[in-house]
Amino acid sequence: MIYFDNAATSGHKPQMVINAVNNALKNLSANPGRSGHKAALDAADMVYKTRQKVADFFGAEGAENVVFTQNCTHALNYVIKGVLKRGDHAVVSSLEHNAVMRPLVKTGVNFDVARVFENDEDTVADFEKKLKVNTKLVIMTGASNVTGQILPFEEIAKICKKRGIFFCLDAAQVAGIMPINMQKMHIDYLCAAPHKSLYAPMGIGILICTKPIENTVIEGGTGTSSLEFVQPNTLPEMLESGTLNVPAIAGVSAGIDFVNKIGMEKIYNFETKLLKILYDGLSKNHKIILYTAPPKMHKYAPVLPFNVRGMKSDEANEFFSQNGVALRAGLHCAPTAHKMLGTADFGTLRASFSAFNNENEVISFINLAKKV
Amino acid sequence: MKRYVIATGTVTYAIKGRDLLRKNGFTVKIERITGDNTLGCGYVLILTGDIEKAEKILKNGGVKILRITAEQ
Repeated sequence: MIYFDNAATSGHKPQMVINAVNNALKNLSANPGRSGHKAALDAADMVYKTRQKVADFFGAEGAENVVFTQNCTHALNYVIKGVLKRGDHAVVSSLEHNAVMRPLVKTGVNFDVARVFENDEDTVADFEKKLKVNTKLVIMTGASNVTGQILPFEEIAKICKKRGIFFCLDAAQVAGIMPINMQKMHIDYLCAAPHKSLYAPMGIGILICTKPIENTVIEGGTGTSSLEFVQPNTLPEMLESGTLNVPAIAGVSAGIDFVNKIGMEKIYNFETKLLKILYDGLSKNHKIILYTAPPKMHKYAPVLPFNVRGMKSDEANEFFSQNGVALRAGLHCAPTAHKMLGTADFGTLRASFSAFNNENEVISFINLAKKV
Repeated sequence: MKRYVIATGTVTYAIKGRDLLRKNGFTVKIERITGDNTLGCGYVLILTGDIEKAEKILKNGGVKILRITAEQ
């Protein structure tokens, strides 16, 4: 099978990740932060070292600010529902995933949607225009999971810093493909999906908080202050009620090692090269509709939306699936992005790459697309 | 020799504290205590040596200290 659905989750996990998960299942099956015996402390040690590794990878201050969640959506819920209160205002981009839009709507706070343009200056200007005196939080994706466009989040975070507004980056599509330094970039909250471009297993998310979260969304056992019925207010435990996914955390650690070993820039260059080959090949096929400008480095994540002329995305996806290619069809949980593309009624197909794809797969796919 | 018990409350701060103190030459281990009315359940660092220096290292490193007790 040719797996081009890596923006959903990386389809091929490195052997070192598989080994780390296996090792955790065999040797670290004890509950970290709950018991004082050696096995539990060994598990807690591994979890702590992974927190430190994550903090270093994202230029964050302090391992204790790294929270392990079930996934990126949970991390975004913790920020949006934990920071915003009645009377606050928020700003999001026009390319957000439902992981941002749905919890934001649920809070009931007023918010504005800043339009993303092809030109970064126009995007930054629109964000600035949408800020109000009571804007408390700006939440934006680092790159669209539909179009792949990388947003000028560093510039927008800088504006937020100047105006005393908290800034949250949804790094689901950029963590592992572009360097992020939270301290230098003034990112207050970072939410990531390490099972994508950090090659970790599914069932694990990352939240890094450098500013307070006032309300916890989930309360429960943290292994600390157990006589109190009030949720502890110390990170990371305050946001980690219940047992952690230790094998997946071991996978996060190994996944970061994998990316560091190859080099993030090298991976991104390679995936962009595949993206350019695909774009060029499909643009010569009159049956294919493309929606984005030709891919450029630092402008696009390795994601390409397209459609087959005269076919719904699901129908075309069925053809590719039957011929051994894994794509993603539909709205990709990001209806606002599809409204911008004009594809909200029928969705698009999406191809997305990882370090484990190759040129032959892309060329085979281009040839297959001629037969659709 | 006096033995000191530093309560950090969470395993995260206990490990952070242990690593910081070890880097600075202290012999230190982590234990978990239960049934303490002030801590509920919590993790502590057990160490010997210069407690004032240890406390300073932990505070500078951002480790939250709930309590320090000395034992003979």
